[in-house]
Amino acid sequence: MAIQETKIVGDSFQVGVRFQRYWDTSMANAFFCGELGAGLFFISYLFNFVSGMVAGMLITGIFKTYFHMTHMGVPMKSWRAILRPDRSWISRGLMAIVFYLVFGIAHCLNLTFHLDTAWGLGSTVGYIVQLLAAFAALVVMTYQGFAMSHSKAISLWNTILMPISSLTYSLTGGAVLTMLLVNLSPEKAANWEFLTGGILLLLLIDALVLVSLLYSANKRSEGGRVSTLLLLTGIYRQAFLYLVVGAGLILPALLLWLLPGNFAAALLAAVAILAGYYGYRVLVFKAGVYEPMTSFR
Amino acid sequence: MARYGMVFDLKRCIGCNACVIGCKQENSLPDGMFFTRTLSEEYGVYPAVNRVYIPTLCNHCEDAPCEKACPSGATYTRDDGIVMVDADKCIGCSSCAIACPYDQRSQIDKDLLSHGLFGTDELTPFEEDGYKRFVPGTFTKCDFCSERVDAGLDPACVVTCPTDARIFGDLDDPGSKASTLIRERNGKPPMPELKTRPKVYYID
Repeated sequence: MAIQETKIVGDSFQVGVRFQRYWDTSMANAFFCGELGAGLFFISYLFNFVSGMVAGMLITGIFKTYFHMTHMGVPMKSWRAILRPDRSWISRGLMAIVFYLVFGIAHCLNLTFHLDTAWGLGSTVGYIVQLLAAFAALVVMTYQGFAMSHSKAISLWNTILMPISSLTYSLTGGAVLTMLLVNLSPEKAANWEFLTGGILLLLLIDALVLVSLLYSANKRSEGGRVSTLLLLTGIYRQAFLYLVVGAGLILPALLLWLLPGNFAAALLAAVAILAGYYGYRVLVFKAGVYEPMTSFR
Repeated sequence: MARYGMVFDLKRCIGCNACVIGCKQENSLPDGMFFTRTLSEEYGVYPAVNRVYIPTLCNHCEDAPCEKACPSGATYTRDDGIVMVDADKCIGCSSCAIACPYDQRSQIDKDLLSHGLFGTDELTPFEEDGYKRFVPGTFTKCDFCSERVDAGLDPACVVTCPTDARIFGDLDDPGSKASTLIRERNGKPPMPELKTRPKVYYID
């Protein structure tokens, strides 16, 4: 079935598939910054790379917050978003970010100033703090995908593959930023070859998750099929194939594989990965559609 | 306590959109915003082609995904089953709109309220008065004309319908017209597979 044969009805009074138009680019920016920052924190955490962890928290804390605020219809009342952790994904997500930042800052301070021994708390407290920080970062990395997958309204998102893609893209973005920052930092906390190998593996996993996501959406429902067609043959074809697949997955894999240890190639690969990752975040929002509501007939 | 719901008789609906106009007038809805729509669908192959009109509005689900998704407690369900939005509590995060499988939420754009129905950037006295109920940036939706219901009246779309295709009533009262139609003509809710338990039914 070609995209022309599907019934995308826009805002007209017809039965058919409608674009979701509520989560826009500002929301995609917020998701991108949240996942990238948490990914950078997590990968840097694995190498005790304090500069990377701080950069990760800054990306999440400043940019994610800013873009969420620009998305809010009534930003001055946004504090109310924390009121329903028992029911709302947004409330719980906000709490996860607060935990991640609080324990992340505590862990970085402890690594730098050895506060646990200085205050006579013992290494167990420091260990618990760092585990909580890492766990909260993992939650932030996957959480937005879970929030999207919870929406039964949009088939492209309503799958367990959505949090998995959030996690893998987040790890990839975090790893590539860690690789660059390690090279620029005097800390030299991580092994370049090890990170390069890890990024190549993550790119392969990203590609597999992406293919699975489209395949499952295409099989699931009419809306999922339309979303897949929009990305592969429709209005988002060029952006998806050239930016998300070409620049985001194939180009960096070739650069890192064929030119190992070359900083310029790694820098170009990092830019390409982040561009592809950002493109993925935007296009997943744009290609999300509501199902036609006539299944009862 | 009643549990209000609505039945759409697809055999009676003629797609005149009088309900849409009645709703817009009752709720002072700005240009481009609708709480109810009458969708049309053509089916069959020439020469056996037909068209059906399918009215839609908020389904006031028993297990409302929009209410679950709302982080601020702005969306709530009244004792009589009507799902409401408290504009003073709404933060405009749009999670309700993403959660609603029926795409029945609308955001009140500040520009929408200033342009006016005639696109002249001037508001008529009717608009000036009616738009006072809206808080820019928040989300809104059909509330079964709760003020009319509280006064013992049917929603505006129901009384406007010239063919009685919309039937409003207490779904817990087995003797109500709505309950009788659902029972006798096998009323079906929209997208039942999602298990949101809508209080709106279609009979064909």
